[in-house]
Amino acid sequence: MKYQSQRVAYWFFASALLLLSLQIVYGFIMGFARVGMDGLHEWIPFNTARATHTNLLVVWLLCGFMGSAYFIIPEEADRELWSVKLAYAQLISLLVVGVIAIICYHLNIWEGRKFLEIPRPLDYLVVVNVLAFLLNIGMTLWLGKRNTTTSLVLYMGLLFAALLYLPGMVTVKNQTVDSFYRWWVVHLWVEGVWELIMGGILCYLLIKLTGVDREVVEKWLYIIVGLTFLSGILGTGHHYYYIGAPRYWLIVGGVFSALEPLAFLGMAIYALAMAKKGGRKHPNRIALTWSLGCAVMSFVGAGFLGMAHTLPQINMYTHGTLVTAMHGHLAFWGAYAMIVLAMMAYALPLLTGRKLWDTGVASFAFWTSNIGMVGMTGALAVAGVTQVALERRLGLDFLIVQKEIEMHFVGMLLAAALFTVGIGAFIWLFIRHGLPSAEARAEDFEGAVAVGK
Amino acid sequence: MLSKSQARVFFLGGTGLFSAIFLALSVDSMRQIPKLTRQDQLTDQVVRGKRIWEDNNCMGCHTLFGEGAYYAPELTQVVARRGAPWIKLFLDDPKKMFPGQRKMVRYGFSDQQKDDIIAFLTWCGGVNLQGFPAKPPLRDLMRPTATTASADLAGQPEIFRTICVACHSVGGVGGVVGPALDEVYKRKTREEMIAWIADPQGLKPGTAMPKIEMPVERRIEIVDYLLGLARTPATAAPVQPVRPAVDPKDFE
Repeated sequence: MKYQSQRVAYWFFASALLLLSLQIVYGFIMGFARVGMDGLHEWIPFNTARATHTNLLVVWLLCGFMGSAYFIIPEEADRELWSVKLAYAQLISLLVVGVIAIICYHLNIWEGRKFLEIPRPLDYLVVVNVLAFLLNIGMTLWLGKRNTTTSLVLYMGLLFAALLYLPGMVTVKNQTVDSFYRWWVVHLWVEGVWELIMGGILCYLLIKLTGVDREVVEKWLYIIVGLTFLSGILGTGHHYYYIGAPRYWLIVGGVFSALEPLAFLGMAIYALAMAKKGGRKHPNRIALTWSLGCAVMSFVGAGFLGMAHTLPQINMYTHGTLVTAMHGHLAFWGAYAMIVLAMMAYALPLLTGRKLWDTGVASFAFWTSNIGMVGMTGALAVAGVTQVALERRLGLDFLIVQKEIEMHFVGMLLAAALFTVGIGAFIWLFIRHGLPSAEARAEDFEGAVAVGK
Repeated sequence: MLSKSQARVFFLGGTGLFSAIFLALSVDSMRQIPKLTRQDQLTDQVVRGKRIWEDNNCMGCHTLFGEGAYYAPELTQVVARRGAPWIKLFLDDPKKMFPGQRKMVRYGFSDQQKDDIIAFLTWCGGVNLQGFPAKPPLRDLMRPTATTASADLAGQPEIFRTICVACHSVGGVGGVVGPALDEVYKRKTREEMIAWIADPQGLKPGTAMPKIEMPVERRIEIVDYLLGLARTPATAAPVQPVRPAVDPKDFE
C-alpha cells in the first residue's frame, strides 16, 4: 500500500466478511424452515430471519464499498486519508447501528417495509454515518493532488446512494405511494448508483491489474455507466406494473428493463476485452479472476435472469414468486458480492505484505463459492417455475404448491453448503494474510506499481 | 470512435435526460394514483391497519401487491378469497388453522386490531393493480364443473358460507385447499361427517383440516346442508374429463 491510512480498509473488509458469515447463517435458518425444519420459529420466525438476511447483505456490501473507497481514494487522490479517526469511528458506529437493528428484528421492532426494515430512529443514525463517510472521502479528494474519472464515478455513486436513501424515510398513508418511493431507494440503489460504485471499483481494478491505459479504461467506464442509467432509471417501471400505478409503466418499464442487460453485457465485454488487451501480467491473478468473474456473473444474474421476468406479460405470473428470489441471489452475488471480494483479493496482499494470491485455496474459494451460488440459483429457478405453473397458472392453493416444491429446497441447502465451504476458504485465506503491516509497501510487489499509473 | 470527453457527455447528458423523464412520469403518477387506489376510501382505520401491517413486518413472509417475501400467501385479494370471519378466526391461532403446516406467529391482536387489518386488506383489494393477480388461466381445465344448482348456494348455513368455503367449494364456489364437497354425501354418512368436523386430527392425524370450535348444532347444520345437496340434482351434467393430448390407446 502506498499510504498508511489505506489500512483502514482492512477493518472494513474484515467486518464485511464477519457480517457475510452471519448472513449465511440466517440463510440456512430460512432454508431449513422451508423444508419443514422450523424448530427456531418461536425465537426467530421467518420474517425475522428474512429481514436479518437481507439487511446483513446490504450492510456488509456497504461495508465492503466503504472499505474499497478508503483503499482506492487515497491512491487516486495521491494523499493520505483526510481523517483516519473519523473512518474508524464511522466503521464502529455503522456496526453498532447494524447490531441494534438486528436485535430489534428479534424483538418484533421494525419499520416492516421490504428491505427498509430498520426502525426509523436508526435511519437517522445511518444518514449521519454515511455523511461522515462522504465527508471523509470528499475532503480527501478535494485536498488531493489529482482528480481521476475513477474516483469521480465512485464518489458520485456513493453520494447518490446516500441521497436516494432519503425517499425511503417519507411516511405516507397510501400503500401504493409507499411502495412507489420505496423503490426509489431499493431499485435506484441496486440497478442504478450501486452499479456506478461497482463500475468505479471494477475500473480501478482493471487499470491496476491489466496495465491498459487509464484513458481507455475510463472512457469505457463513462459509456457503461451511461448505459446503466439510460436503462436503469426508467427501468424502475418494472416495479410499478402491478402496485396501483398508471398503466403506462407497463410499457416504459418493459422497454427500458429490456435494455438493462445491455449495460451488464457491456460491462462484461469491457472487462474481458481490457484483460485481453493488457500486455503485462500482474502477479495477483486471483484478483483478476474475481474481477472478470464479477463482470460475467453480474451479466448472467442481474442482466439475463432479470430480463427473464421483467416483461410485463411474464411478470404478471412471476411477480411475487420464488422466481424473484432466484434472480436476486445471483444478481447480488455477481454484481456486488463479487466486486467486494475482488477488491479484497487485490488489496489484502498490499495491506499485509503477504503474497497469498497464487494458492490453491484462493482458486478453490473462487470456484466453490461460484458453483455453490449457481446451484442455489438453479434450485430456486426450478422451485420458482414450478410455483408459477402450479399456483399462478393452474390455481392450486399456495401451501399445497409449497409442499410440492419442498424438495428443491433440499437441493438449495446442499448448494448453499458448497457455497459456504467456498466462503469459508476465502475467510481462511483472509485470516492467513495476517494484520495490515506498516512495512507492506506496494513497491515490494513486482509489477504492482509499475503497472498501475 | 468516441473520445473520453464525448463519452462523458453521453453519460451526463443521458443521465440528466432520463432522470428528467422519470421525474415527470413520477409527478404524473402521483396525480393519477389517488384515483387508481380509490384514495377517498382510505379511512383512518385503513391507515391503522397499515401500521399494524408494518409494525409486525408482515411483508417478511407474505406478499401484498406481489411485494414481500415468498414464504406465506399473497394477501391482496385475501378478504375476497377467505372472508373476514375466517381471517379473524385464523388470526386468533394461525397454527390451529393449518395444523402441522408452515407456522405463523400468534400475534394476539385485539378485535379492534383485527378489524383494522381487515379494513386495510380490503382497501388493498380494491386498488386497481392493472389486472394483478391474474386469474389462473388453466384453472377451469382442472376443476370439475359445478354439479350443484346455484340455488343451493343461497341455502348455505352462515358458518359454511363464512368459514368452510375458505378451503372447500360447493358448486364451484369456494377455496381449493380441501376437496370440493358437492358429492361428499356419496362418500360419508351423517354420523361420520359430524364426528369428522368435531375432531379431524383425532380421526386422521396429520390431516390439513383444522379443528374449529363450534357448538354441535352448527356441525349438524353443516352436515344436513351437505346431505341436502343429494336431493337437488345438478342442473349441469358432470363434464367429461379433458381428453389427454396423447391417448394411451394410440399406442396399442
